[in-house]
Amino acid sequence: MIGRSLHDGRILSPDDCRALLRRVHALAEGGGDTAIRVSSWWHGELRWARNQIRTLSDRRDVRLTVIRTVRNGRDGAVTTNQLDDASLEAAVRAAERQSRMGAKIGRGVGFYPQFPHYEPFPNAAIWSDATFEAAALARAEVARRMIAHAEAQGMLSAGYLEVRAAMTATLGTEFPELRTGEHAFWEQPYVRWTQAQGSMTVRNAAGTGSGWAGLSSYDWRRLESASGALAERAVQKCVASQDPVALEPGRYTVILEPQAVADLMEPLIQSFNREPPEMGLTSPWRLAYDEALGLWRTKLGMKVVDERITISHDPADPDQGIVMHPLDLPEPVTWIERGVLKNLGHDWATEVEKLKGWHAVRGADAYRMSGGDTSLDEMIRTTRRGLLVTRFSNVAVLDGESLLSTGLTRDGLWLIENGQITKAVKNFRFTESPLFVLNHIEQLGEPVPVFRPTKREGDRLRPAIVPPVKARDFSFTSVIDAI
Amino acid sequence: MTISRRQLLKYGFKIGASAAALGALPRPLYVDLGDGGLEAVPPIESERIRELAFRAVEAARDAGAAYADVRLTHTRMRRITATGDIGDEEQVAVGVRALVAGRWGFASSPMWSRDEVARLGREAAYQAKSAAVGPAYEVVLADVPVVHDEHWTMPVEVDPFEVSPFEIADYLAALTNVVSRFPGHRSDVASANFYVQEKAFASSAGSYCTQRLYRTEGELSLAFEGVRRRLDALTPAGMGWELFAGQQLREEIRRLMDELEEDAKLPVKPVEVGRYEVVCDAISVATLLESTLGTATQLDRVLGFEANASGTSYFSDPLAMLGSHQVGVPALTLTANRNERGAAGTVRWDDEGVESEEFTLVRDGILADFQTTRESASWLAEYYRGTGRAVRSHGCAVAPSALEIPLQHVPNLRLAAGPDDLDFDSAIAGVKSGLAVRGLVVDVDFQGGAGLGRSGLVYEIKGGQRVARVVGAGFLFRSAELWKDVVALGGHGSVQRFGMMARKGEPAQATYHSVAAPPVVFGQFTVIDPTRKA
Repeated sequence: MIGRSLHDGRILSPDDCRALLRRVHALAEGGGDTAIRVSSWWHGELRWARNQIRTLSDRRDVRLTVIRTVRNGRDGAVTTNQLDDASLEAAVRAAERQSRMGAKIGRGVGFYPQFPHYEPFPNAAIWSDATFEAAALARAEVARRMIAHAEAQGMLSAGYLEVRAAMTATLGTEFPELRTGEHAFWEQPYVRWTQAQGSMTVRNAAGTGSGWAGLSSYDWRRLESASGALAERAVQKCVASQDPVALEPGRYTVILEPQAVADLMEPLIQSFNREPPEMGLTSPWRLAYDEALGLWRTKLGMKVVDERITISHDPADPDQGIVMHPLDLPEPVTWIERGVLKNLGHDWATEVEKLKGWHAVRGADAYRMSGGDTSLDEMIRTTRRGLLVTRFSNVAVLDGESLLSTGLTRDGLWLIENGQITKAVKNFRFTESPLFVLNHIEQLGEPVPVFRPTKREGDRLRPAIVPPVKARDFSFTSVIDAI
Repeated sequence: MTISRRQLLKYGFKIGASAAALGALPRPLYVDLGDGGLEAVPPIESERIRELAFRAVEAARDAGAAYADVRLTHTRMRRITATGDIGDEEQVAVGVRALVAGRWGFASSPMWSRDEVARLGREAAYQAKSAAVGPAYEVVLADVPVVHDEHWTMPVEVDPFEVSPFEIADYLAALTNVVSRFPGHRSDVASANFYVQEKAFASSAGSYCTQRLYRTEGELSLAFEGVRRRLDALTPAGMGWELFAGQQLREEIRRLMDELEEDAKLPVKPVEVGRYEVVCDAISVATLLESTLGTATQLDRVLGFEANASGTSYFSDPLAMLGSHQVGVPALTLTANRNERGAAGTVRWDDEGVESEEFTLVRDGILADFQTTRESASWLAEYYRGTGRAVRSHGCAVAPSALEIPLQHVPNLRLAAGPDDLDFDSAIAGVKSGLAVRGLVVDVDFQGGAGLGRSGLVYEIKGGQRVARVVGAGFLFRSAELWKDVVALGGHGSVQRFGMMARKGEPAQATYHSVAAPPVVFGQFTVIDPTRKA
């Protein structure tokens, strides 16, 4: 099954990839380093709007970058999407010419230190034959069923379904004997992955109500089986959010659904990097400059959020499969453990002494945030006055130190009074920090997979598992009319 | 702005030598067009590309498409930094769009060959047929004159790919040296991006046209004692190397440095929340236009076709609003085009073979039209017929390359100047008490209806003078009120044009266009401290 799929030309198979790398490598002239990276992707897409399927598409591309470094030259990089001998030879010649033109004394072969080589994590959940085989007809059928939910309520829906597959590989990992320098930090053995994503916006004809639901996974079957529930959720949110009333801006207790938590946490998740705070750059994890030692101290080891919060990633979890890098330790990583900052991602170049080896710690590409056992209904029932938030849009960081951010609520915001949802509320602009929210938690629910697809063609997977959160004193700063 | 050979020599460019250097750089693209073997990608005017194009269209027609079109693109990109890093990328792509029973199918790939284009034609029709579940749907495409085998090359003074990349790196390094010679002044690493795309378009209506389009942009930021300015003169443009060599960039940099020193002398004070008369410089106005009227007049957004992606519009009912809805002061006239020389969104034909023309979105403060494609123009047929106009597309169908399906994207926008000879400085001189802002960055909601602007350079004005630099100001606005609150528009001499990038669609596509605007004085902005919580 896999073999047949991989040879229909939509993405490069391991054999084709290896033959290609060999072919390109043989074209190099004049010694020096040769690095080659190849990737290819295929997308099957479906867009609908106003309850009509609008477009189905089938797209693919390939990208080969050859980097040549002749002795004492600089890196010369040329990218092409044609894989015939003539194109490839021209690419190699052009890269060699660039390399020679920028020649510098003292740089050349043997530039990289010795790296360890970890075996890729076995059995990571990143490839699904079902995703690769999801034909246009199957996508259309799922869309049709999702649209039917909106039609049944007299609502208008727009949505997007996508399946994709991609691969990437480099020369040195496929053919260690052809490697001219040492194993380089960016090398990647042949790896392929799939992704399925679906999302749906439901609006009423007057445009006074809007609901949304979405899910991404490496496996199309999960999306397919969840599609009915997703459609129903989007429709219900639209129906319940119609004709909202304006509330005064201010501080509210909020119940954030998992998607809203994921949207709000994005700047925090992106911040788990060791280099900026150690270099004294703006980061929530920079503590203070230590005059005695002459270095910047970080908040590693300090309690930074509520002790109920753990943010971690386990590559063995079937909901958290990612494309791992050979310099990444193939082990789980915990960035925040019971509220304490435990790890920050760093790349191979960060000082060896501190890290005891040439390996990288992953930043939080994919993550799981720990939760609790309070159901969403229970959270609502125990709220005297508060707001229920579906998701956030346009989240932008205002201050990199505190992660104070601004953004908008979208597709469903409701007032809760005395344990009951009482009315739909107009959207707010908020001014709040994810760190503040994680220090003002009242209740946590069960973590679930959320909508967090990769965006550009050929990008790597980034799944997230996030709980609903009830927090107090969330700051809403102005009312917006947009629905 | 023509560049003579002498000027180029003055800047250190030897045209002959550059062409020779280029000749020596191999090009990494060969294709098999069926003449027995590989060959370098031929010029887009080649008869064999025309044959490929129609082969794809016929394959789609044979497979049942009521309408089909194809684009073949050959794109070349080059990025160069002042430190001498050069990135070269080249790509060919072909994409076929087929309409079957009211549904679009699209298929694309990176291979130009007879077999592949025929496969894509069939695949596009198959994709469209696969959508045929549920009720039938009628797509009406507005009429467009057939284009008979025409070619257009965007006029540029100097093809940037004819200039040696190593000379360009030296030129950029020299620009940063202008800054670093002066104590206290800093600049980031200057960089330049060049882009050329050759594109062929064929449709089942018999149109065939080819184009060669350029885009050039550069980046350089200056800083002095905590005040930063970006070199606005290098935003994306439909130009060649003359974007750099045709401007007095060194003089512009020196002028900015002088202004930075002046700004640094001003006392600094934190924002005082309140309502202020505000003078916006041209790029701030261009950004405000782009995110409000430029967003809200996209007809596909208005009707919910982008609801699950970039969003909808604060204009809710196009047929009821056209010709009567007041969106701004009577002095406000906003036109759009895709044929303005030198603009980043300029083409001769759009991605549906529609020839570009200027059209008016807002006339004398009244909503007059929307941005359209062939399909969306027909949604306004009632309005156009009622006003005695032909139902025709405004030529806003765009995709970054043939790999992506064309969507309606923002065209070049142009805000008409005011009658008085007013510029940023003289506008400030006319304000008794207020603020002035440069380089506003705008975050607008998903209907283009309300937003928050921020800037690193805000001046307090007292008695027509800049008396302080205000830090931490946020400018809150509602689009429906903003353009009704225009006190004065800058004059003709103050209009500046800036290239911008916009994203929309699923999967998201990024395309470029220009926005030209004068500085504007707004009567009342709500100024807040955006970092202050409720």
